[in-house]
Amino acid sequence: MKKSLALAILIFLFTIQFLNSYGIQRFPKPEFESGYVQPETLLPNPRAEVLAFMDIGVLIISLSVVSWLVIKKRSRNGVFWMSLFALAYFGFYREGCICAIGSIQNVTLALFDKSYAIPLSALVFFAAPLAYTAFFGRTFCAGVCPFGAIQDLVSFRPQKLGTRLNAVLGVIPYIYLGLAILYAATGTDFVICRYDPFVGIWRFNASFGMFIFGGLLLAVGIFIARPYCRFLCPYGVLLNWTSRFSRKHITITPAECIQCRLCENSCPYDAIDIPTNTRNPESKQTMGRKLIFITFLIPMLMLAGGWTGSQLHEPLAGVNAKVKLAKQILNPVTDKNQAETFEIEAFKSQGKQQAQVFAEASEVLHQFYIGGWILGGFIGLVFGGLIAGRIITRYQADYVPNKGNCFSCSRCVDYCPIKLPLETK
Amino acid sequence: MQNRREFLNLLCRGTILTGLAATTGLLVYRSAQSGNCQLGSSCANCGKSGKCNLPQALLYKETVWQLDPTKCIQCGRCAENCVMTPSAVKVTHVYAMCGYCDLCGGYLKPDTKNISTAAENQLCPTSAIKRKFVEEPFYQYTIDEPLCIGCAKCVKGCGAFGNGSLQLQVRHDRCVNCNECAIARNCPADAFKRVPASKPYLLQGIEAKNEEKG
Amino acid sequence: MNGSKPSEKTIKLLHSIAFAAAMLAFVLCLLISVNYFQVKSSDPLNAPVMKSLVEKFRNNPDDEQLKAEIRQLDLLARKAFFTNQWQIRTGGYLLLFSVLIVVICIKSVELLTAKMPVVPGESPVNFWDSRKINRKWVAYSGITLVLVSLVFAFLTHNELGSTLQRSTNKDAMAGSAQPETGNNLAKSDSASVSDSLAPGSQDSSALTQSMDGFPTQQEINANSPAFRGPGSNGVVFQRGFPSSWNGSSGKNIKWKTAIPLPGYNSPVVWNDKIFLSGANATKREVYCFDKTSGKILWKTTIEKIPGSPATAPKVNGETGFAAPSLTTDGRRVYAIFANGDLVALDFEGKKVWAKNLGLPKNHYGHSSSLVMYRDLLIVQYDQSGNTSVMAFAAKTGDQVWKTSRDVKISWSSPIIVNTGKQTEAMLVAEPYVISYNPATGKELWRFNCISGEVGPSLAYADGVVFSVNDYAKLAAVKIGPTPELLWESDEYLSDIPSPVATAKYLFLPTSYGMMVCYDAKNGTKYWEKDFGTPTYASPMVVDGNIYQMDKKGVMHIFKADKTYASVGDSPLGEGSVCTPAFVGGNIIIRGDKNLYCIGK
Repeated sequence: MKKSLALAILIFLFTIQFLNSYGIQRFPKPEFESGYVQPETLLPNPRAEVLAFMDIGVLIISLSVVSWLVIKKRSRNGVFWMSLFALAYFGFYREGCICAIGSIQNVTLALFDKSYAIPLSALVFFAAPLAYTAFFGRTFCAGVCPFGAIQDLVSFRPQKLGTRLNAVLGVIPYIYLGLAILYAATGTDFVICRYDPFVGIWRFNASFGMFIFGGLLLAVGIFIARPYCRFLCPYGVLLNWTSRFSRKHITITPAECIQCRLCENSCPYDAIDIPTNTRNPESKQTMGRKLIFITFLIPMLMLAGGWTGSQLHEPLAGVNAKVKLAKQILNPVTDKNQAETFEIEAFKSQGKQQAQVFAEASEVLHQFYIGGWILGGFIGLVFGGLIAGRIITRYQADYVPNKGNCFSCSRCVDYCPIKLPLETK
Repeated sequence: MQNRREFLNLLCRGTILTGLAATTGLLVYRSAQSGNCQLGSSCANCGKSGKCNLPQALLYKETVWQLDPTKCIQCGRCAENCVMTPSAVKVTHVYAMCGYCDLCGGYLKPDTKNISTAAENQLCPTSAIKRKFVEEPFYQYTIDEPLCIGCAKCVKGCGAFGNGSLQLQVRHDRCVNCNECAIARNCPADAFKRVPASKPYLLQGIEAKNEEKG
Repeated sequence: MNGSKPSEKTIKLLHSIAFAAAMLAFVLCLLISVNYFQVKSSDPLNAPVMKSLVEKFRNNPDDEQLKAEIRQLDLLARKAFFTNQWQIRTGGYLLLFSVLIVVICIKSVELLTAKMPVVPGESPVNFWDSRKINRKWVAYSGITLVLVSLVFAFLTHNELGSTLQRSTNKDAMAGSAQPETGNNLAKSDSASVSDSLAPGSQDSSALTQSMDGFPTQQEINANSPAFRGPGSNGVVFQRGFPSSWNGSSGKNIKWKTAIPLPGYNSPVVWNDKIFLSGANATKREVYCFDKTSGKILWKTTIEKIPGSPATAPKVNGETGFAAPSLTTDGRRVYAIFANGDLVALDFEGKKVWAKNLGLPKNHYGHSSSLVMYRDLLIVQYDQSGNTSVMAFAAKTGDQVWKTSRDVKISWSSPIIVNTGKQTEAMLVAEPYVISYNPATGKELWRFNCISGEVGPSLAYADGVVFSVNDYAKLAAVKIGPTPELLWESDEYLSDIPSPVATAKYLFLPTSYGMMVCYDAKNGTKYWEKDFGTPTYASPMVVDGNIYQMDKKGVMHIFKADKTYASVGDSPLGEGSVCTPAFVGGNIIIRGDKNLYCIGK
């Protein structure tokens, strides 16, 4: 039964293909008498598939080299040159696609849409940096990601932002990640790629808006180091959380911290945790009470967030092509230059039924409703977690890089007066 | 204390890595099953892990963007929405379908009275179509690709009055293969799709068959 | 770095180079932006000046000056376009280069002036206090986010979801094919579909659109509201029609009026108004004639319908652009044309609503006539590929139901008949006769008995429906949830005129001019008669007689009985291919050029 159904679908598909076949041979092919030879239609080939394996190879080698430079060699210079290489290869040569940040969407789409088969390169670009981060910290950010490299290059006068601003702005990547996953999962859009600030620079070609966004980010980046990485990058969220549990991580000092405070201002990214100096002044009871409070608060926050998200599902779904089409069918807009929009024209030419479009749009809306709840709940959880993280704080005596936020760029290493024999050479 | 924390770290790391491995594994498994098969999971062959012999089923291939001329309505958005300027979508001439007409709907503006190559007669805004006399009464039309901006005016003309031998295609020497094609996002007819890089063109007509053989 | 300290001079020099390069970059940025916006706003390739010039040139193709002007402008436009692109590209490279210089200079200054790290003066802020403050800030930002989102949600609030739900539900309630199954595969098992339906389930919800009611059956039977009379079944419920007239002598001809545009649709009549349509490739018109005087009361040109295709469809000369007959419910008149335009006009000729159903893929031209059930306008839309039957609310034109049909293209028209238990809409197209509940569009039953390009419509009488097509067969099917074949024959077949039936007899015309009478229940052939003239119009059962118009305009009138008995032959004096309408003692006949009213 199943087989015959599939066969029927196949036949049906082929019939459709046949019916739609473009171009009717209105004029027969001429029979030339002058010995004219018909030229061949030139079809340039896309980039050879083998080269995708080269990209994967370069990625893995770069990750290994940078990790080695960060963890073993503790060499800022080495990391700097590797980042320039990444800028040249993944940026200018590969023109930004595929990149690890965007690959989140490919993975999401592949998980939700079975008919989308993810290219191997996208999968590796997603998984390999995370795997390396689980062992060595965010070495990917330090010297493999071209985004980081170009921003690092222009951070001439980095200013400290203060913990408050860092805390508040640090929420944005979570929201961005949530939105990107929602839009990718519903097959609506790849927002990360759509708002990629630097891809135009790699290609010397993009829409004007893309250039403006990229230029602005670089201009801001002169004073606020790596603004995209810290306050936008959705992949950074994943790396952040993976890095927190990494097996090894860059340390400022190769031995014991002597509290010299020399490194205190070395980090342009405000990613060094300063010593708490004292133990938590709050009594254990107060902290316990607060913890219980936040434990109850988090589900409330998630509910509130989820409800808010669900309220937003219609505007969120508004960019989906199916929803857009349904909207246009319901409220036909007439432009003075055009009797109907191209969407409506295409819809008519395809002979689809209106009811079918509506049903599809309803389905998407429903997905966004569920997605809105999940997204809102997730954002609620993030806020709760951020607050909870600022209640539960351990006593800490030394200057250490924050394992989550640190990009492993190794600048602070040079500021530490303690050198191992190997390094002093 | 220290040990407990390290153990916790190990546990979390393990969870993350397991999750990552599971995701990757699942996607690899699925890819191995369906590849870039255009039939999707509706095909009865799905489930034959890696053993499907349908021509559509391909394993693990890189994809590129291509435009399906049967769906295209020649709206002209390809010219405006590509991240490249001029667009990577250009008109492609399938000579095998061409009628070599003197009165060419793709070359001449409608209602052209005196057929000549003069500017007032040419449909193409950039004069990217070149016309050459072959023999009475046939003319050969060639695309000067660097000039073409992908506005689809000629495609519309050829489709309406001729054989439809002029078709828009993503030219892969120019396309940078964005992760998500900016034109696909704006295409009103949903004509853009990811195709296997080994079969990068979706031309209609004889040419397409050659393509499949190769 | 090693050895001598870099001189102040070098550093200063580097600084000034960086500054100069930065200035250059800034200026380049501005220039590129200005250039971009300039060209963007003027859009040289689509300049309106050019368009108007070309327009002018079309009207005076010999104006040499205009020609020269166009050529010059074209050259200029292209130059502007490509120069602009070159400028932006070159500017971009220069910009990159200058930024590179800035970066290199500043990096070298950094290297040259590598400072020793200093211990920051002020002691670090109190860690625990800052934690507390951060907590609050995170909380505030969260609250702000929620509030902003809610305000945004409130502002952008629209009822899209529920609107869609409503329109989808409407379809679902009306029992249309599930959208997901768009390819009809799920419907192939007909038995289970019809089994699941309780007979006579009149879904009133679909009728909630009803605003100004619908005519009673008495009213309908007193008029001729559709092709082949009430219900399109070829049966007239009135008496007292003339049986003899002569177009050339004027005998019994009440009036005769020329019809402006051609069309093969039959007249429909409501009280004293006669409606028909005419069309050619470019123009579509609906006419209203006064039944007493024959004057054209109004004519309405059907134009500017949203979605109406710009170019006319290809049609066969024997179908034309206005083959489907109109229908009326006494409130409005409805017309459909070969290009898919569907329109409702009030009795004064004003457009009430109009829509285009999408250009039908029909190689001869769309010809299925309209028919009404209560306040639903039923449209059979069989085309190549995507066949369906739809019902529209008479007053508003909203689609009330749509059921897709897994049949081939056809040119037949639906019939609406009361089978005693319920009212059914029966449609025929290869390979099925399918009956639908006209209120909901739900399929009631189907029977596989026909093939080919079906032209003749069905005939129904006393529980039996008759289908026929050329190169196929004539089939008599006893209707019901499980229909059965009573008899079939392939001796005489019709490809254009439709049969008519009474409880006892079936009268089958053929397009080459035969008339055959069968026993309706067992198929015994009682008689056959060759009129010798091709016949396109369908016969009508009127008051115990059959009226059959042939292509030359001669009406053959004979007894609807077991033996052939002629009542009379009346010539119109003009050819006709349309089925006449019988109303109030008058016969309305559309000839090739004129409309005739027969009667006293």
